[in-house]
Amino acid sequence: MKKKRLHLLALVPFLILVGLFELLPLVMVVFRSFMPEHAIGLTLAHYVRIFTTRLYQQAVLNSIIVSAVSSVIGIAAAYFGAKAVHEGGPRLQHFFKTILSLTSNFAGIPLAFSYIILLGKVGVLVLWGKKFGMDSLSNFNLYSVWGLMIIYIYFQIPLATLLLIPSFDAIRKEWKECVSLLGGTSFTFWTKVGLPALRPALFGTVSVLFANALAAYATAYALLQNNFSLIPIRLSEQFVGDITQHKEFGSALAVVLMVLMVVSILINDTILKKGPLLSASSKKKREDES
Amino acid sequence: MKKSKSGPVTVLLLSIYLLLPLLMTLLYSVFSRWSDILPEGFTLQYYSELFADKSFAVSLLRTVLISMLPILLTALAILLTMYVVIIYLPGLEKYIRILCTIPYAIQGVILAVSVLALYSNAPGILSNRTLLLTGTYCVAILPYMYQGIQSSLLSVNAPRLIEAAQMLGAGRLYAFFRVVVPNILSGVVISAMLSASIIFGDFVIANTLGGNYFETAQIYLYQTLFASGQKTSAVIMVLFLVTLIISLVAFSLKKKERRQE
Repeated sequence: MKKKRLHLLALVPFLILVGLFELLPLVMVVFRSFMPEHAIGLTLAHYVRIFTTRLYQQAVLNSIIVSAVSSVIGIAAAYFGAKAVHEGGPRLQHFFKTILSLTSNFAGIPLAFSYIILLGKVGVLVLWGKKFGMDSLSNFNLYSVWGLMIIYIYFQIPLATLLLIPSFDAIRKEWKECVSLLGGTSFTFWTKVGLPALRPALFGTVSVLFANALAAYATAYALLQNNFSLIPIRLSEQFVGDITQHKEFGSALAVVLMVLMVVSILINDTILKKGPLLSASSKKKREDES
Repeated sequence: MKKSKSGPVTVLLLSIYLLLPLLMTLLYSVFSRWSDILPEGFTLQYYSELFADKSFAVSLLRTVLISMLPILLTALAILLTMYVVIIYLPGLEKYIRILCTIPYAIQGVILAVSVLALYSNAPGILSNRTLLLTGTYCVAILPYMYQGIQSSLLSVNAPRLIEAAQMLGAGRLYAFFRVVVPNILSGVVISAMLSASIIFGDFVIANTLGGNYFETAQIYLYQTLFASGQKTSAVIMVLFLVTLIISLVAFSLKKKERRQE
């Protein structure tokens, strides 16, 4: 019996780590979000405040809009990028993949700063816009929702393309030949066969992108510090800084953010489950190969 | 079906779009003025200033330390756990997987403030910021480390390997740590590199938990943001280069591994 227990000791480091820095903090945040400030009890007041105060409504709305739009544009660009890799030769593939992995590391503060150089008040593109009389460039306000959106789109594209490229491997030459034999064009192939076959991968990638943008903090913070209403900004404000801490209210914000991220994953899962034909065909493919 | 010609154009346009900010930052860091169409006054002064700045070197060193420690701790914790899972309790696997995937859904800011809220006023060593930072980074990289170690174990067929080693007279512990672990080492190193690049790029956890107590390179970068544009560009290029080297090492290791297979 003693010997049987000894091996359990090997689990101790993992359990301490996960317990102290993952489970306990999370459980406490959920609990604390239902607790009144500086008192003991049970309340929904923090959640009511989030959804009734303009400042926090705005943060939730901004977060969802910026994440959704940047994910959709990101996946669209990634689709064409990954398609080009799929159709291109090995040299093109190598070249583009190198650029993608190079730029996928370029995020957060460095990215925000490089956009300040480009499109900020005295940015290079703004300068060029003035010189060459392009008003849309010279009047561009980077310190706005649109500016933030442009930066978010930038960091979504390399990630989305890298995630999408492997799924194009599932599209087989024979399918294209079939469509071609039956008189279809390349356009017919992609709209009727290619895109439906890629649907699970596209949705999966969008949900990763959405969660990625939702949790992004450094980019927005570097651009506008606490002056831009996004959930992560409002959230961190409750815990860090000179103002008094509002742990309970902050915890409720954290739970809202968590729920949004989990929901995006769950929506993705249910959409995927509704496509039995697709999962069946991909399973078939795996069997064929093995 | 004829080959589409739009592919290379798409790749070219996307590449220009993606490289533009990076290139501009590089140019910005080596010119003293950019108030006309083209920059003027080539200089490497900002880099020499940066390398002369002791606090930058220290912050870079802190970042290296705070990425290595969590990687080692997490790798050790996961390896020990997988040892128990593979040899004694295979049923535990799915719970371990769930525990290792949760941090992926609570990235960055949520994890950081949760830890801060719980321990900032804790007595004794638990409120030590370096400890909090280390622990939080361990959890933040958990999904990537687990994924790497788990798939490496699968690809070498660890249970078989242990059986074989036992038949040759090795103990279980010996079989796992002297036979299996050396075989999966390159896989572990690859996920370690990925984790290192994640920690190198992290601002939110460092800012929330470390702040002024433990100034990493990203915090240093944030502070220069309001000082000089050229210096900031130089810091960004140095950090980018370091991350690039880390990923290049990981990439070449991956290639080597694939060739072996």
